[in-house]
Amino acid sequence: MGVGAELEKIWYFMKRDMVSFSTYKTNILILIFTAVFGALSFAYLGQSSVNQTVTELYHTNYTTYLLIGLAFNTYLGQALTLVQKTINPWALEEVLVSPTSLTTFIIGSSIWGFVWSTGVVAIYLLIGVYFFGVVLTINIVGTLIVLVLGIGTFIGISMIGSGILILTKQGDPVTALMTIAISLFGNVLFPPQILPAPLRIIAYITPPYYFMTCIKEIITGSTIAMIMPNLEILGLMCAIIVPVGYYIYEWCLKTARKNGTLSWF
Amino acid sequence: MQNENAIQTINLTKTFKSKIQSSEGGFFKRKTVIVNAVDNLNLEIKRGELFGLLGPNGAGKTTLVKMLCTLLPPDSGTALVNGYDVVKEQMKVKRSLGTLFSVGERGFFWRLNGFRNLEFYAATYNVPRQKRREKILEVLKLVGLENSAFELYQKYSGGMKRKLALARTLLPDPPIILLDEPTTGLDAISSRHVRDFVKSMVKETGKTVLYTTHYIEEAAQICTKIGILKQGKIVALDTPDALRAKIKKDELIYLTFEQVTQAQIEKIRSLQGVIAVTEEAEPNLMPDEQALRVELKSVDQLPLIFDFIFEQKIKLINFKQEEPSLEDAFIELTKKA
Repeated sequence: MGVGAELEKIWYFMKRDMVSFSTYKTNILILIFTAVFGALSFAYLGQSSVNQTVTELYHTNYTTYLLIGLAFNTYLGQALTLVQKTINPWALEEVLVSPTSLTTFIIGSSIWGFVWSTGVVAIYLLIGVYFFGVVLTINIVGTLIVLVLGIGTFIGISMIGSGILILTKQGDPVTALMTIAISLFGNVLFPPQILPAPLRIIAYITPPYYFMTCIKEIITGSTIAMIMPNLEILGLMCAIIVPVGYYIYEWCLKTARKNGTLSWF
Repeated sequence: MQNENAIQTINLTKTFKSKIQSSEGGFFKRKTVIVNAVDNLNLEIKRGELFGLLGPNGAGKTTLVKMLCTLLPPDSGTALVNGYDVVKEQMKVKRSLGTLFSVGERGFFWRLNGFRNLEFYAATYNVPRQKRREKILEVLKLVGLENSAFELYQKYSGGMKRKLALARTLLPDPPIILLDEPTTGLDAISSRHVRDFVKSMVKETGKTVLYTTHYIEEAAQICTKIGILKQGKIVALDTPDALRAKIKKDELIYLTFEQVTQAQIEKIRSLQGVIAVTEEAEPNLMPDEQALRVELKSVDQLPLIFDFIFEQKIKLINFKQEEPSLEDAFIELTKKA
């Protein structure tokens, strides 16, 4: 066969993928947003004012700030994606026909992820303490409270995203936006205080900032009373987002079952 | 009092809206198509019955199974499983059922062995912890997987995966079992093993089985009653024998002669009541032998043919009268409806 025929085949390979890709419109938008905001995150990270702001706000060095951020970001990432992992359509159908409740199904499917993440967090912190001189003064009760509220909030967000994913099949805008919010506004890589005012507002209305601020403070010597203003907001977000997330997930699941599209992916 | 029907549907209906790409105007133009997957279906399956639901692809078999196991809510009508409503009493329905989906092996975890996979599902089906191991080994033995219980699922063959799915269905020991095309994709030996197993299970335990298939002879072999589904409606419902008898066909006979001439064939063709005579090419015939397929209006015309054969002194080697097969019944009934 000639080169022309082979080129035609290559064109049809590409056309196949392009047509498939174009059917997931939400996903296309998400990918574009992720690229833009990903670039912005790293641009801000490179600013020289980051170190100074960290020292002023958290009374610690940037290494400690970054290590704690990356360690607990594991929990956020886990919480954000764990409900999605449960919606493997075939396993989902098999479990849904068994006498197992939706709550048991979600909790049961996610618990290992958190056990694993706890190990990862421990590795980060141990490396930080033993190799980089990170000083931790952990308020255990406070840490547990922050973790429960933060993880709860993110599971709620994950349920919203997964519910949408059950309907759209590919491309979950909520999780994608939250991933962007974590990297750009979440106080993981740099404090959002270095951002321009309009972007800073986004940080103050999204949960990652409150979780990360509370956790960074509570394991570096702050008391519960000291983090209370941010903790209250995190608690309020958790109280709203968890039931809303559950309701949306359940509704989307019901809709997909009604439409017979649960196992379509 | 226990309802005598294990499964009952009353005017059960399910419609799907499907968006399909329009043939005109590129891939962004779509049109909506409405499909009546299950259409006012009334069905009763008695306790202890092995009921075959037969239908071509897209007839609504899987949709019905999914509604019965609560996975798919009906648009209207009622479905009762073990006397429980599939919409209002979902948990009770789930406790009464074991379901094997047509692609059931996809719900397994590839990096776990067969035993561990069943252990997980045993927990979801509330199999008591102290009896779990014993029960898992029991169902694995029942389906013939006792020697592969601790092999990784990813190493299982297609037949073994299907058997494991069947074992999962049996784990909670449900009184009613839905088997959606359980032999699809299996080789002949594995298919026969599944059929034999289902048949003996129903005989020994008195469980009710709804067995969907598009393999006609499979349903005929094991089911005590068969419903033929077409476009979401039951178009025939009876025993396999009664279904065969239901179709009125012309009588077909096959005659093999030694040394019959073309003129004699023409004469048979012209006999009263003969609709058609076809010369059959059969590989096992000797050079001087000829097989004919004779279509008659009724068996009453047979004596005329035999009189002619004796009169002409034609040597008849073989005579065979064809019974209508279940396949004929299936084609006939789905065509009529």
